[in-house]
Amino acid sequence: MKATLTRYTPLLLLAMLWELAPRLGFIDPQTLPPLSAVARAWVGLLQDGDLATNGLSSLQNLVAGLALGIVVGVVLGISMAWYRPIEVLINPLIRVLYPLPRSALIPVMILWFGLGAASKIAAVFLGCLLPVVIGAFNGARGVEQVLIWSALAAGAKRHQVLWEVVLPAAMPEILAGIRNALALSFILLVAAEFIISQRGMGYLISSFGEGGAYDAMFAGVLTVSAVGFFADRLYLALMGWALRWRV
Amino acid sequence: MAMGISFREVSHTYRPPRGRPVLALQNVSLDVREREFLALLGPSGCGKSTLLYLLGGFLPVEAGTITVGGRPVSGPGPDRGIVFQNFALFPWKTVRQNILYGLQKQRLPRAAREKRAQDLIELVHLRGFENSYPAQLSGGMKQRVAIARTLAIDPAILLMDEPFGALDAQTRALMHEELLAIIRRTPKTVVFVTHDVREAVYLADRVAVMSARPGRIKEIVDTGFAGERGSEIAGTREFAEKVEHLWGLVRNEAIIAQERQGS
Amino acid sequence: MASLGVLIQGLLRWASILALLAAWQAFAEAHVVSSFLLPAFSTVAVRLYHDVVSGDMVLGIVLTLYRAFAGFALAGVSGIVVGILIARVPLMRWFFDPLVSIGLPMPKIAFLPVFILWFGVFDASKILMVAFSAVFPVVVAAWAAAESVEPVLLWSALSLGAGRRRLLWEIALPASLPQIFTGLQVAMPIALIVEIISEMAMGGEGLGGSIMTEMRFADSPGVFAGILAIAIVGATLVKAMEAIRRRLLIWHPEALAA
Repeated sequence: MKATLTRYTPLLLLAMLWELAPRLGFIDPQTLPPLSAVARAWVGLLQDGDLATNGLSSLQNLVAGLALGIVVGVVLGISMAWYRPIEVLINPLIRVLYPLPRSALIPVMILWFGLGAASKIAAVFLGCLLPVVIGAFNGARGVEQVLIWSALAAGAKRHQVLWEVVLPAAMPEILAGIRNALALSFILLVAAEFIISQRGMGYLISSFGEGGAYDAMFAGVLTVSAVGFFADRLYLALMGWALRWRV
Repeated sequence: MAMGISFREVSHTYRPPRGRPVLALQNVSLDVREREFLALLGPSGCGKSTLLYLLGGFLPVEAGTITVGGRPVSGPGPDRGIVFQNFALFPWKTVRQNILYGLQKQRLPRAAREKRAQDLIELVHLRGFENSYPAQLSGGMKQRVAIARTLAIDPAILLMDEPFGALDAQTRALMHEELLAIIRRTPKTVVFVTHDVREAVYLADRVAVMSARPGRIKEIVDTGFAGERGSEIAGTREFAEKVEHLWGLVRNEAIIAQERQGS
Repeated sequence: MASLGVLIQGLLRWASILALLAAWQAFAEAHVVSSFLLPAFSTVAVRLYHDVVSGDMVLGIVLTLYRAFAGFALAGVSGIVVGILIARVPLMRWFFDPLVSIGLPMPKIAFLPVFILWFGVFDASKILMVAFSAVFPVVVAAWAAAESVEPVLLWSALSLGAGRRRLLWEIALPASLPQIFTGLQVAMPIALIVEIISEMAMGGEGLGGSIMTEMRFADSPGVFAGILAIAIVGATLVKAMEAIRRRLLIWHPEALAA
């Protein structure tokens, strides 16, 4: 605990700098409001309900896109590893989509689904899909043959082996892929919200920016950053628990 | 010959995804009597593991026939339990969960399953480690879990693919004793693959010596120690002579295999 | 013989891409969905060709690449310097470690309005946004690389008479190069993505900006042509980085094993 505190002391120093520099005039308080002003704005947003409305909207769309991406990705990746025809079919698709920044597809999503939640969810889904598919595919492909044979010799049917052996054995790679997907989901959601701009944290940040309410803008930016950071940390803890059988 | 094993003119070609096909086994014919401990002995690459995998039903029999109790082999099953060299434990399951796996497949009632698993844990001297994960165990312990897992479903035939190859010499010697003790208590037909001559003579009733690739049965030798097994036999002259005899047979094949690898 | 295998692999890759394009074309021509939702590949390709030839797209590509590269270069240089400093100077490590560990998982794109506020709506804000996003993987890679240089390499050099200052330049840097370059390879697509997103959010010139304009005009073939252009640019950059890596690291076992 103490080690964690000392580790993050430089952040404390930066926070103090953020408070003092604008106050003392070293930095124009218009472009960088003091930290206390930002904190006050944050509380204001909370009380207004702005934070809740937009935060919830963002969270909903993020979770929907991410969950969809994980489920489809795992199913697709493992099927590809288990059934060769599926791999032959899907692999070129993946190879082509991989170098394409999925954020470039946001305009296509808007063309298809309009300016609403569906486009945001679709954008997040597409961003999350690939890392999970690749993780599941590599993980399932890498399962030791002897594990599968042991299960078969113990009396398992082939489809049982898929669920009971291949999936758990592929978990390390799948979970690593999901961690990637998690980070990407935040990026794509915020990007989509900047562009589609109706509701959500991205919208909140950019509209405050345009409106000149910079302390509220910074409050929004910090909130999103913090959520992204803690989501990753939480996920790491979850991943550690799920993979506790490793050494 | 109720549960005896019979290989007739079995050949197998190994077809790697890249490169030329390789004839791994050529016209192997062999009988394994019920409750017999047979060792498959030969140099690396002679196909002994391949023969075991064919018997286990993990590889399809393309040429020749393999029958168990008169019925041809068609896929893996709980009548032929297998133990691998690198243990093949499910790393995400505890010791107990690994051992329970086959029992769950057999749909025994819960209480019976748990009891049987516990019995096996006792049998292989792993009491206290039921809830450990494989990553926390030593090599010898992992192999004991693997054996326990296979024995749990009480297969009539036990297939062992160099099961003690990854262990150090001392652990290996202890495992030999444990294996023989287990077989004495619950007799099984055992087909045991190894490249270690002493191990083969010590454990087996008969030793089938295989030639270098493509594998054929070169000679089958009776170790002559059937039923009389204790660690004292390792010191007898008969033992040493058998080992020498077999080593002579294997040595030539090992040299051939070695030279082929270099080319 | 090995080169024949590589050739066949390359052909297979192209074959699968061609198969995909053929499927796209067939799907579009079957009119399963309207040609607005999914214009035929032929339409899009022709449109792309026109845009390139007329010069419109070239300007966009140049602008996007210029800003992405500028940000990438900034991130690369500063990232490598900071990373090495962190590994070697305890004060730097104390200061930067929490920043890096917090910054890495954050969605840095959220800071775009901040950069706009500070640096305006033209190139500077986009370039700095790109740099800010791309610097983190470079720092992490350079840091790890600097820490993992095998002591025996340094000791050999020292015993052969190398001075301490030369050590960094002549031994530590080449030894760290594979890992640092990997960090750069991770940063490159990030730079492109962030640049595109910034352009789409801010509008104006550039590949991202033009796609947004076309979208507002419901110019579906235009949107797809823009995406195709981005895909080609992205793939080219990745291939270019790989080629540079092979040249630069020709001495590395990974290259010799191939």
